[in-house]
Parts: sequence; structure tokens; C-alpha cells
Amino acid sequence: MTAARSVLVVGESLAGTTAVRHLRALGHAGPLTLVGAEEQGAYSRPPLSKVVLKDPSADETLGLALDGLDVDVIRSPAVAADTDRRTVTTADGRRIGYDALIVATGAGARRLAAPGQRGELVLRTLEDARRLRARLADATSAIVVGAGFLGMEVASACAARGIPVTVVDTDRPLERVLGAYLSAEITARAATHGIRFLQASGFATLTGDPVRGVALPDGTELTADLVVTCAGEIPCVDWLEGTGLAGRLGVGIDHACATTVPGVFAAGDVTYLRAQGTQPDRRAPFWSNAVAQGRAAAASALGLPLPGPAHDDYFWTEVTGLSVKVVGRLPLLGEPTAVQGSVADGRALLTWNHADGTSTAVAYGLRKPVAALRALAATSSSD
Amino acid sequence: MKISVDYPRCEGHGLCADQAPDVFSLDDDAELTYRFEGTVVPDESRPAARAAVNACPVAALRVLT
Repeated sequence: MTAARSVLVVGESLAGTTAVRHLRALGHAGPLTLVGAEEQGAYSRPPLSKVVLKDPSADETLGLALDGLDVDVIRSPAVAADTDRRTVTTADGRRIGYDALIVATGAGARRLAAPGQRGELVLRTLEDARRLRARLADATSAIVVGAGFLGMEVASACAARGIPVTVVDTDRPLERVLGAYLSAEITARAATHGIRFLQASGFATLTGDPVRGVALPDGTELTADLVVTCAGEIPCVDWLEGTGLAGRLGVGIDHACATTVPGVFAAGDVTYLRAQGTQPDRRAPFWSNAVAQGRAAAASALGLPLPGPAHDDYFWTEVTGLSVKVVGRLPLLGEPTAVQGSVADGRALLTWNHADGTSTAVAYGLRKPVAALRALAATSSSD
Repeated sequence: MKISVDYPRCEGHGLCADQAPDVFSLDDDAELTYRFEGTVVPDESRPAARAAVNACPVAALRVLT
């Protein structure tokens, strides 16, 4: 490792701050710069859909500290990159050179509103969470567009306040992520908490200006005080235009977080894993991956071997106060191979054995650390 | 360096113990415990402890200097 190499990390995100931390931990003694777009710096996003929607005092407790790290932090968003000259330009006009670049600009909320249509609510940033919390305070009805984990968490926050909520999606709640078995259990449980699910035959359109409802392809129209779009995320790659680094799915990386451009690495929600063998291009924008990839990108940027795998398949969510923690491949097809406890009672440990010999372990309503789930998934595997 | 734990917020994910196995462990009920004696994190464990604070998905850990 050459000590004088300069490393530039763009994106003050979980992946970005993790990369910065591990660059120093791995012995990088040269210049290190972190470019961030958020005025308040990096913060933790999973609490936004849970504790922040309930409790204003949580707002100031989410920061991801850069304490103890010798890093030059520039809080102005990156607007352009030149990978031939190896420079990045920020909105305030700075041009920063690098020997190695780590792209960690994350993703933004996908929006459904028509151009000029006002009042669409999303949940991606702390500001979004504050706005939604304020609206929850006096809402008497709500619609959530999207029945993925974020949509079901937002619906749970509505239900916890006694606000009747309808969730609309083409697929059943969490089915794309968790499969039909757990989807059915979670949908039934959610219904007893006042969360109604409406399956649409196609895309929902937001109606009103400001937004007051949704229209479905079959002619159904719904209105509510509150309409929240939870329709996934879009990688933040505008600033990479012209570099050939980014496409519709984000920045493609290999198993070492390397992009197709020499000297450029990427980590977190901005990335997708490039197709390999029979595996197609694949996005996996989850917390554990941002940590694993931040570490891996740091090692790769320094030309060091990976400290561990550059992916981590730990995933969790919480629906109506019940936590679901998963280690292993998703989605889960068919019935579980083994069940300890009772799913109906909301306390069970489940495993699915897959055709490829691997297993997935699920803690359903149980407080179970990731290490125990990893051990269970490993011992259930047939190889 | 000390670390504070917001126990009501802790959900027992255990990603801190993944990052810093010398600093944190979780028992069978996923209750977080320290692996070191006393309340001050030993010098050699501090970088890992800071990484663990960073990796807590519910922001329940804080570094106190």
C-alpha cells in the first residue's frame, strides 16, 4: 500500500462513513476526503420509519459520528465526475482530485406524482419523517402506496395512532421480499390492527393537487387525509453522467466492490451487483449490505484483500410491533421446512431449506441476534 | 472512551457484536453485554468499538469520550 495515495469518498451515507472508518482502520495514512450532501451529516435511516415517526426527541439521536477519524469533510453535493482526470466537482465549485474514488451516494425515494402535482409524501430522509410525523398528528385516514417493508412500516405507524389505513400494491404485503407464506401471516396480522390491503391490477395514480388519493386501473378511486408513496428507491447517480459508471439500476460492482472504471469503487444503495454466471444484475439496497460493502470498498480501494464477504444477507423489518429478522436467501418459496413455536401467536423460529443446499432462518416476533440466526441457517444447510 | 447503550431502543440485532466481538456480546435473549472489565473500552478495542457504534441499525449506541 502506498501511503501517499489519496482517497475520495462521495456520499456521507452509512456506506460512505463505513468506508472512511475502515480506510483508516486498514492503515491508510494519506489524504482522505468525504463529500456529503446533507447539511447535518450522516445519520441512521432505519429508525425513521419506526421511532422517529413516534417520538420527536429521536431526531437528534441518529447521527453517524466521524469521531477520531482524520478526514476532510466537504458538505456540498457532488455535481460532476471526470474519471479520466480523476476529479470530482461539488456544487460549491470545488474540484477534488483522487487516486481512488468510492461512490456511496445512496438512493432517493421513487415518486409517483405527475410533474407539478404537489403534496406527495415519501419517507427517505429525516426531513421526510418530520413532515410525515406532523401530518400523522391530525390525520383521520391514510393510504400507503406500496406494500414492501417500508410501506408496511409506515402503515404500522398509522395503525399505532389509530388511523385507519389502506395499503395498495400489485403484490401482496412483503410477498416480493419474504414470499407467500409469511406474506399471508403478516397480512392477516396487519388486518387485525386496522391495516386494510387492496390488491391492484396495475400501477396506482395519485389524484388531486395537492394529492388527496389514488386511482387504480380498474376504476377504483380512494381518498384520504394522508397519501404516502413507498414505491422503492432510485440510485443517486445524476452526478456520474458521462462517466459510463451508472445505469438505471445504479453503479454496477463486482464482489470486491470494483466498478468497470479503474480506480473507482462503489458501496451501498447506489450499487447493483453485476450479473455473474446464471445470476442476473441484482440490487440489494439493505442496511447490512451497506456496511459490508463499505468495508470491502475500503479494502479494494487500497489494493488489499477483502476483510470478509462484500455482501450480507441479513434483513429485518417490523410490522405492527412484530419484528421479522431474516438470514439467508430471499424470497422464501412454499411452506417452511421447520417451525419452532407458533406463527399464529407471533413467536416462531422458522427455516427454509433451498434446492441449492443453503437455508434461510427467520425469527418471527422473537428477539434473536444475527449471530444466532446465522448459526441456525448454517446448521440447517445440507452442505 | 465509554459507550452508552439506549437499552429500550436496542432490538438485539447484534451487528455491534459482529463488528466488535471483543467489546460486545449478546446472550440467548439478545440482551447486550460488554465483553471487557469495567466501563472504559480498552485502547486496542476502540476502532472496532467505533465501527460497532456506526453499524447499529437502530442508533442505540453512542460514544462518550
